[in-house]
Amino acid sequence: MADMLSTGVSGLLAAQIGLSTVSHNVANVNTDGYSRQIVSFATKLPEGQGGYFIGTGVDTVAVQRAYSQFLNNSLWSAASGQGRADMMVSLTGQINSQVSGSSNLQTSLDSFFGAVQDVANAPSDTASREVLLARAGGLASTFRSLSGQFSQLAGQVQQQLGDTVKSINSDSTAIARLNGLIRTAVATDGTPPSDLLDQRDALVKKLAGEVGIGVVTQSDNTINIYVGNGQALVTSTQAHAFGTAPNKYDATRQEIVGEGGSVISGRIGGGALGALLDFRSSVLDPAQTQLGRAAQALAATFNAQHAQGADLQGAVGGAFFSVAGPVVQAASSNTGSGVLAASIANIGALTGKDYTLRYNGTAWSMRDTNGANVALTGSGTSADPFEAAGLSLVVSGSAAAGDSFRVQPSRDAASGFAVVITDPDKVAAAAPLLANAAGTNTGVAAPSISLSDGSDPNLFSASAVVFSSSTSYSIDGGAAQSFTPGAPITHNGWSLQLDGAPAAGDTFNIKANTNAQGDNHNALELGKVANMGVLDGGVTSVGRAYSQLVSHVGSAGAVAQDDQITQKAVYTQAMASQQSVSGVNLDEEAANLVRFQQAYQASAQVISTANTLFNALLGAVRG
Amino acid sequence: MRVSTSWMQQQSVGTMMDRQSDLSRLNTQLATGKRINQPSDDPVGAARALDQTHLIADVAQYQRNITSANARLGLEDQSLANATNVLGRTRTLVLQAINGTQSDGTRGDIATELVQLRQQLLAQANSKDGQGEYIYAGNRTGSAPFTQQAGVTYVGDDGQRMVAAGPGLQVATGDPGSAVFGSIPTGNGTFAISAGGANTGTVVAGASSVSDPSASPSAWDGGTYSIVFTAPNTYEVRDSASTVLDSGTYDPTSGGSVAFRGAQVAFTGTPAVNDSFSLSASGKQDVFATLQNIIDALRTPHGGGADMQNAMNTQFANLDQAIDTITRTRGMVGARMNALDQQQRLNDDLTLQYKTSLSAVQALNYYDAISQLGAQTTALQAAQMTFSKLQGSKLFDYLR
Repeated sequence: MADMLSTGVSGLLAAQIGLSTVSHNVANVNTDGYSRQIVSFATKLPEGQGGYFIGTGVDTVAVQRAYSQFLNNSLWSAASGQGRADMMVSLTGQINSQVSGSSNLQTSLDSFFGAVQDVANAPSDTASREVLLARAGGLASTFRSLSGQFSQLAGQVQQQLGDTVKSINSDSTAIARLNGLIRTAVATDGTPPSDLLDQRDALVKKLAGEVGIGVVTQSDNTINIYVGNGQALVTSTQAHAFGTAPNKYDATRQEIVGEGGSVISGRIGGGALGALLDFRSSVLDPAQTQLGRAAQALAATFNAQHAQGADLQGAVGGAFFSVAGPVVQAASSNTGSGVLAASIANIGALTGKDYTLRYNGTAWSMRDTNGANVALTGSGTSADPFEAAGLSLVVSGSAAAGDSFRVQPSRDAASGFAVVITDPDKVAAAAPLLANAAGTNTGVAAPSISLSDGSDPNLFSASAVVFSSSTSYSIDGGAAQSFTPGAPITHNGWSLQLDGAPAAGDTFNIKANTNAQGDNHNALELGKVANMGVLDGGVTSVGRAYSQLVSHVGSAGAVAQDDQITQKAVYTQAMASQQSVSGVNLDEEAANLVRFQQAYQASAQVISTANTLFNALLGAVRG
Repeated sequence: MRVSTSWMQQQSVGTMMDRQSDLSRLNTQLATGKRINQPSDDPVGAARALDQTHLIADVAQYQRNITSANARLGLEDQSLANATNVLGRTRTLVLQAINGTQSDGTRGDIATELVQLRQQLLAQANSKDGQGEYIYAGNRTGSAPFTQQAGVTYVGDDGQRMVAAGPGLQVATGDPGSAVFGSIPTGNGTFAISAGGANTGTVVAGASSVSDPSASPSAWDGGTYSIVFTAPNTYEVRDSASTVLDSGTYDPTSGGSVAFRGAQVAFTGTPAVNDSFSLSASGKQDVFATLQNIIDALRTPHGGGADMQNAMNTQFANLDQAIDTITRTRGMVGARMNALDQQQRLNDDLTLQYKTSLSAVQALNYYDAISQLGAQTTALQAAQMTFSKLQGSKLFDYLR
């Protein structure tokens, strides 16, 4: 008879291990990342009895976690997608509620231009002029408040970038430490410790939610983690900390840098960090720029028309709104003394992109945010500035090879949008000059006058343009000049346009429009600015530019929401598959508990029987 | 497939969260009545809604402009009606005054009333609109356009205020006093007749006109001509170089008309030899000067003769021109108000159309939303019930 007692004991021990594994599984039912553990048994080596073998009991071969590397990999990838989608929904949700809130620019524009029309209805009424200034103030504060909200969001993004980087660093440090523990445990026990592996997998999953990663398992059971295209985050037991550093051009803007200090912001995708960077560059920056561009367009167009008018005192209208121009930032790495100055040359040609100008030692070149080359015309001097994308760029000083500058034509322009005029009398509702065709004219030319230089000292001097023939005229008895039909006649800062052909002897009198408190000519023209195409080559009005901004922000939000739904489904699927292998099911554990309990009781019975048999044998010998 | 206990719980909780978030969105939609509460709800729709709102605001402003323009035009129409009444009374008085039965005394009385009427007319020409601006001052609305200092002078300008009444439509909301009261053509509008100062006969020039604008061999050319009676029954027409162009006979007892170059002038009375009348192209004269001339003529001592008659006839033609000008201006004011009314109705239609498309873009379909609310509520209750059932059935519960 084989050793029944030791066989019984082996069963007892195996059942005990089974029971403690079940208890461990039950205890960790709610532990994040826990994989249920399974005990595997095998029969002991049997005793050969010549013609046959007798079993000697059971061996516990292994306690292993139920685990699939494939399913875990897809879970990590899904976690990365979900981390990105969740962050994106939260960020775009904030900017969406900002543009849908009370600070609706379109409403402010409508009430401002309504007030302009009211001034046109009663140009000499101080009350309507005051209302216009108040509405203009309201419009300016809407621009500033929207811009301020965007800036606040940018600050929040910056804060979250820092926090996320800290969290990534602490996770990668913990993973590196676990790598070390696991390597030691394998060296000592020859088998990887399930619970440590679970802990590490849970950390990897958390890390994947923070930033898109690639995981490579090494032969010593450690894992290496890479971000983007090969930037190491963890290698074996070594964690490589990321950091934030000021942007090369803008010290207030934080970029992500790798351990060596190289900027890797552009190479990070996925996870919350990817969403933060993506949101900043593809939603927030364009929104701020579009708003700034609308502010610049409104100020430029309204000011230009306002300068064509005369205020209640008859003086030429001054600037109505003030707005910031392009921002130029020199790279912190510049070594030369070159200075770049940028101004807007053509508001209709502004693109809403940012640009980088680089000097290679002999020539300047310009690239947009996407890296596409932009052709420059001109030579960069103040007499012949570089012109591109609606900008006029003047270089002074001596730049060194490799120096670069960033130009942001419209970024933050809205933050300084303000009303310059405070005196209601200064609203230029009237026309400054009058041009009349003399009653004796025989030609059909109808005169219309505008200002080409409102600061000309002789602007308000009366003049007479007399035609000696249909192609020749003289001003105030001066030298004869030739007249080209359709071309304006300019003198003393005004520009006279004739509609129709003048005849010989025709006279056009130009004089100051004095005491014309009731003139609303320029106010009507100012009212037309509301629907005037200004941007994008003269097709987009200021109001339309705002609805484009809203549409852009709205699409970003809608795309983020759709993406979140997709990512959630992917994550749910990955999680369900992973859990179907690794998750703890309490009913299953209850059944296992009963199973091992019965096995334990049965093994105990075997020992008890062996004992009875042994006692019987003793009794027989004694007897 | 194996299901892990904690994942099943998380899933159930997740489902309930989803249903609650759906309900919260429905709640916002039902509370605001809008399908789009954030641009992300429908990016294209949100932009379209902004555009429509802008169009509605635009049209609303046009309606405000029309209201204000109508008020101003209404006041102008009122003052023009008053001016017409004043001039109508003036015309009656002038007709009375021309009557041969009047004496110097009665003509003086009429002149006194005419002075009064002239003041009334001046008050109308200097009337203000609702904002205290002078209606007939052109753009110089801050000061009275007609000032009286040895005659009435116009100190306004020729400006005409426009109002934007619709997209691309501007309507004038006033007329400068220079056009209404100031530069009124004299005579019959084409030429004016004046009697020679040395006339001694009783011949009086009456109605005149260009009866045939295409007369041959030569039509009226706007030149200066004179009609000279070489004898009580013969006349000559001479040009400015005294060249005789035409001659004819005249019947002093029954009167008659002289016609040349398509122009026609009626005469009555007996001319003396070399009595003359000159014809020249119409000039411009303001209505106040016309009235003053009438008053002066009436106050001429020992009046009632042919010289007064001729002077009165000349000014009477001018007065009719003034009445005509004001009536025509009133007609234009009426036409503008009419155009504004039409535009107002058009704007109402546009507003309705814009509001309809705005509501199509962003308004909530309540039937749809309420039925969804019911469905989502049921789904949430089902999820809650499933959770509680699942939590209640565990094998451990039976191992006792």
